[in-house]
Amino acid sequence: MSVPTQKPVRKLSMKQRYSALTHDLDWPLSYVEEDDAFPYTKFEGIKVHDWSKWEDPFRLTVESYNKYQAEKDRRLYAVLDGFAQSQGQLSLSDASYMNAMKIFLQGIPSGEYQAHRNFAHLARYLNGPGARFASLCQSMDELRHAQTEIHTLSHYNKFFGGMHDWNKMSDRVWYLSVPKSFFDDAGTAGPFEWLIAIGFSFEYLLTNLLFVPFMSGAAFNGDLPTMTFGFSAQSDESRHMTLGLEGIKFMLEQDEDNLPIVQAWLDKWFWRGYRLISLVAGMMDYMLPKRVMSWKEAFELYFEEQMLNGLFKDLAYYGIKPPRDVEWAIQEKEILSHQVYWILYQFSHAAAFTTTVPNAQDQAWLAEAYPETWPIYKSVVWDKAQKVMDEGGRYFNPGLPQLCQVCQIPMGFTEPGDPMTQCQRHSIYEGERYDTCSDGCKWIFEREPEKYVQAWLPVHQIYQGNCGGPTLPDVAVWYGLEPGDGGEYVGSMDQLDWAAWHASTVKEG
Amino acid sequence: MPVVAISEYKFPSKSRQELYGDDQLVHVWWKGNPWFVAAGCFRFPKAMPWGDFVGVLKGFYTADPDFVPDSLDSVQWVIDDQEVTPDPSASMEANGVGHKSLVQFSV
Ligand SMILES: [Fe+2]
Ligand SMILES: [Fe+2]
Repeated sequence: MSVPTQKPVRKLSMKQRYSALTHDLDWPLSYVEEDDAFPYTKFEGIKVHDWSKWEDPFRLTVESYNKYQAEKDRRLYAVLDGFAQSQGQLSLSDASYMNAMKIFLQGIPSGEYQAHRNFAHLARYLNGPGARFASLCQSMDELRHAQTEIHTLSHYNKFFGGMHDWNKMSDRVWYLSVPKSFFDDAGTAGPFEWLIAIGFSFEYLLTNLLFVPFMSGAAFNGDLPTMTFGFSAQSDESRHMTLGLEGIKFMLEQDEDNLPIVQAWLDKWFWRGYRLISLVAGMMDYMLPKRVMSWKEAFELYFEEQMLNGLFKDLAYYGIKPPRDVEWAIQEKEILSHQVYWILYQFSHAAAFTTTVPNAQDQAWLAEAYPETWPIYKSVVWDKAQKVMDEGGRYFNPGLPQLCQVCQIPMGFTEPGDPMTQCQRHSIYEGERYDTCSDGCKWIFEREPEKYVQAWLPVHQIYQGNCGGPTLPDVAVWYGLEPGDGGEYVGSMDQLDWAAWHASTVKEG
Repeated sequence: MPVVAISEYKFPSKSRQELYGDDQLVHVWWKGNPWFVAAGCFRFPKAMPWGDFVGVLKGFYTADPDFVPDSLDSVQWVIDDQEVTPDPSASMEANGVGHKSLVQFSV
């Protein structure tokens, strides 16, 4: 009997291995038409001649992906355990810091989950194996992001209000309809628009403006878990940025007819994304007890410097111009956070976070960061709000606000150059009137009115009786709000608990 | 421009007037007063007399400690960008207020 001789195993190089385990798993279709197998890549008008031109510079395989991510997750969960055991929440800068994390938890993980689902869709329905595989990796990333964010913040839920029903809230509460409608808009578009909306505009153009403030805010304010989550997500983000950039370049290189379509998507999604992260502006300048940098500085560095003066110079080669409403955003950098926080302040009785008049230290910082605009807001609204407090009251808006049909934010943004006059834009479509907050949102509405007439505007839904009942207490119950979740920070349950924990620490020590 | 879609894309407005029965939504904007960060959105009967509507506003705006209710008796009303002098006994509808109209004033 002869023993079969085993051939020595030839080791594949990394590149060959990647190719064998990803691209080589693709096959030419023999008994179905390509258009039947991939039915969603033509209707948007994007012309693709050669899918093999899609470059994936990362060359990950599922095996290496799993190994690497498991290691990162292990490190994150070790930090979370250590933080819980050492009662890390007590060394935060202040209980009011949690307000930023409440907005993060209520708004972001469901967005990550939406991103997971839509990239999974792309991982099946893009024609090219390289593009599909990159989408698969991002889909898995986004699911991990949702999970790790929830776990990261779950420890805080034991000690602070507003975090118990984040999932229900992200579906129902008025300010959370802003991120929800953003992802609904992107997810109901075709795959190429999704790539420009999320892959490029959100993950590339605006990602630093979204993540850096949260993560450095966490670092500055003693929030080790969120900081560690941020580091763990960072290496994924660089892959996402690459996918977004590869996506836009691929479309532009495949056919010059693609340029006007891509430009219009870029114009739309810059403005959608920019309006969405205005919530981050309010948070950065008003909700962090220890500030990192102002919204204005962040906008100048991460957007004007890195994107307008960097990226768009490169994209000009393809004929791409900066987004159509970019000048509006630039002039708004001086006032955006003031306006957003003033919105949040007067409606926080219906929110799952608290707000307060900036204290003396905060005001000194604001005066330095915004020497021209802070004095206006201080004298016109904050001194008056403080006076109401001093007299034993607390100003909350007694009504419901007019909302923008597109971004769904209360219409508190103002005309360029006139910070005291709210911007009112209107369109008539099929005899009905629709309101928008800016030229950007108006343009988006009029480009696709059929899409935005369906907007689930929280205020209108309340008036139609779809949110638990006619009164604010009814709506609060339907939102899942509990006593202590919203309203004024001074005297709130979070603040009182915080003071009690620290008083007992001092006594014992 | 129609929505580029895989099939016919046509849906009714989620806030069309018929969803409010005999009522309609009305936006009220105190222009130039940032104390109210955005215009208010209200649901009122179309048949509500203009005078009653102003009465509601006189209560609503007391949330601004500097507000003088009688000041609303002498403001210039603007409905959907048209300066108007409403008839207090006529209905809001008869005075030109439609669904999601913008009623504005400044003091
Ligand atoms: Fe993510
Ligand atoms: Fe808007």
